[in-house]
Amino acid sequence: MEFLNDIALVFSDFANPKKRVFVGYLLLSVLIALFWLVFLRKTPIRAALGKVFNKDIFFSRSSFADYKIFLINRVFTFFISPLLLTQVMIATAVYLLLLRVEVIPWGAFSGLSQTSVVIWFSIAMFLADDFTKYLLHRWMHHWPMLWSIHKVHHSATTLTPVTVYRVHPLEGILYASRNAVAQGTVISLFYYMFGDRVDLVTIVGVNVLVFLFHVTGSNLRHSHISISYWPWLERVFISPAQHQLHHSIAAKHFDKNFGAALAVWDWLFGSLHLSEDHDTELAFGLDASENSSEADLKTLYLTPFQEIGRRIAQPFLAIQRRFKRVT
Amino acid sequence: MKNALKLGTSLLAISLLTTAASAESYGPYPITEKSYSGDKTNSVSYSGQVARSVLVDSLKSLAGKGDGGANAAELEAQMMAYFKGSDDDLPIISHTDKDGFDIKQSTLHDISKGKNVSGKTYKGLVPGWPGNMTGPEVIEHMIKQAAKSNSGFDAENGMDWGQLIQKFALGAMAYNQVVDNYLDEKLLADNKPNNKPYSDGAAYTGKEHSWDEGFGYFGAAAHSLDLTPDQAYSVTKKKDAAAADANGDGVVDLKTEMVFGNAYYAAGADRSGKTDYLPTITSAFIEGRKLISSANGEALTDAQRAQLVAYAETIGTEWEKVLAEAAFKYAGSVYKDITKIRDAGSDEDRAKAYRDYVKHWGELKGFSMAIQTGKENLGGTAVRMNRLLGYGPVTMDESVVTGVDANGDFVREKKMSWNAYQLNMLKVQDLLVKSFGVEARANDATADLASLIKKLDSDSGGAETD
Repeated sequence: MEFLNDIALVFSDFANPKKRVFVGYLLLSVLIALFWLVFLRKTPIRAALGKVFNKDIFFSRSSFADYKIFLINRVFTFFISPLLLTQVMIATAVYLLLLRVEVIPWGAFSGLSQTSVVIWFSIAMFLADDFTKYLLHRWMHHWPMLWSIHKVHHSATTLTPVTVYRVHPLEGILYASRNAVAQGTVISLFYYMFGDRVDLVTIVGVNVLVFLFHVTGSNLRHSHISISYWPWLERVFISPAQHQLHHSIAAKHFDKNFGAALAVWDWLFGSLHLSEDHDTELAFGLDASENSSEADLKTLYLTPFQEIGRRIAQPFLAIQRRFKRVT
Repeated sequence: MKNALKLGTSLLAISLLTTAASAESYGPYPITEKSYSGDKTNSVSYSGQVARSVLVDSLKSLAGKGDGGANAAELEAQMMAYFKGSDDDLPIISHTDKDGFDIKQSTLHDISKGKNVSGKTYKGLVPGWPGNMTGPEVIEHMIKQAAKSNSGFDAENGMDWGQLIQKFALGAMAYNQVVDNYLDEKLLADNKPNNKPYSDGAAYTGKEHSWDEGFGYFGAAAHSLDLTPDQAYSVTKKKDAAAADANGDGVVDLKTEMVFGNAYYAAGADRSGKTDYLPTITSAFIEGRKLISSANGEALTDAQRAQLVAYAETIGTEWEKVLAEAAFKYAGSVYKDITKIRDAGSDEDRAKAYRDYVKHWGELKGFSMAIQTGKENLGGTAVRMNRLLGYGPVTMDESVVTGVDANGDFVREKKMSWNAYQLNMLKVQDLLVKSFGVEARANDATADLASLIKKLDSDSGGAETD
């Protein structure tokens, strides 16, 4: 019985509306994909079904690696999460800091109505979350040590909704910490200003804006269904096609579209790339020079450590070499 | 340096805790004083300190007896007798029998004769109280106000006299006497030496009795190491006679079996499971006393005195934390009370919440003044605490006490919002954590924030990567 519980725990994300892979969102994604293919791309229904449930993609070596990484990382999560910084720690620290600094008078906005507080808080949480995701994602591509870690995600040559879990455990730690810092800060800031009237607008327990992101096909970002929006909309929201382009192996697509839900950050900071025409299939994955692998777990888990270790050791080795030359 | 001291203290605490397993009691200890010729066999004596604790607790009870002015003169005289001492025997008002909890003594002379509170109260100025008064003057001022109040409650100025008097005295008398006298200068080589009787004809040496007096002021039952925090707590509350009656004679002996104020608050913090103040402090007293006994009536060596000073250090730092924990707890209560006053649905509810608020503020203020009567000047910490708390709390018309006039009557020349004052409570708690490292943290007002986060439970796929 306990064994069954453990199994349920491993797959609990699929039953949790707070997670992208919640079955409800997956089902909606399938419907959106079929609607897109059949009505807008005029694909015959059989062909559309074949494209959505493409076994070459779901049963590819790369996708199997995703599934294995999903399982292995769940185990890591159980051990690592209790060690991470929590929102409570961050929020309490920020709150006390605000009390000491007192830039804004405590409870200064207590005149604002409950409804406005809740709406503003929900928006602020979403924006802080989305912006810090953009920022960290950008850094993951920019800084060589972080790229060593993030490469694991980009080594996927086929994309499925489960690819969202194809990350190195170190990346998991970074993203969880980002979450704690972003949300902890916003919560404490609002609590400082509005006290216990702070609350979220939620649907099925999720911030309504996050919910909207998921029901509009967030799972299709990691898929081969290249749904694009009107150009103006792609400057506001990242379309699935734009994110797929982010995974493209073509050099001209490198370091574009870091955003999660919103495209405005990419637009503002010059990394936006609108989707291209639908007939060219994008190739996903990494250049051979990256020394990664689409499916070898040993490479995927260990290479980041080796590369980071080498990078840290480099300056010391350089000093040593110079020292040898002198003596 | 402070960290090294903390480390030393915790190591000491740990070693003391291991001895606590044997559950020793404080005394009896043999007579080592060579000049003593009487027939006593136990050199332990601290009944004078117990009498003083009883006087303070009785003052608290008396503070609630005012009828709004008619009995003011009479009550003031009665309270002064308990404060300054009396030749007549006084009845014990605080510790009386309660169903199933019979107390051995009923008058002060059953415990000790000729004791007072005023003579042992901190002589320095008390900056937390208006009017530039010394410790004894503050208590006298409080007694006068209490005598003319209605049941010890002054709604207009936001004062609860019983709480203020008792909590301040826990520091100004007990804590101050121990950390600034008995466990301070009386540990010097030539002050109350161990090779001489404490006073002519006494059954105890100078050092033995000095140490005993310290333990007496702390207020722990001699068998405190046998008690769980809950038990110690219920002894004070007169709810657990079995736990109190260590010798099984069917009555609770105030001299050895009762748990008084400071020890009670140590146990209160320990109930959190996060601290061990009561056993740590009691063990340090026991180990110190055994060390003195082991000298067998000879002068203590420098090494022995150094060891004693280390025990005294533990007692002092842990005790200071106990006072800080109590202040922390009541700052949290005041914080919550303000929310209740603000949210009260009816005048009746508001009045009730205000009464609790004034009581808790009295305890908070009392402890905040108590902690400032230690050996060391708390400097900026004390100034900040006093300013955050003010001379009085925000009252119903948002005015606060700003000082006293020439007659000693309060003036309230300032207004402050409930909000601002509630914020001060958060700052007080923050200050207490930073300055004293309180750990039990009862009524932590920032816990509201933690529960909000729990309620939001907003992991909106925070760890999802794209």
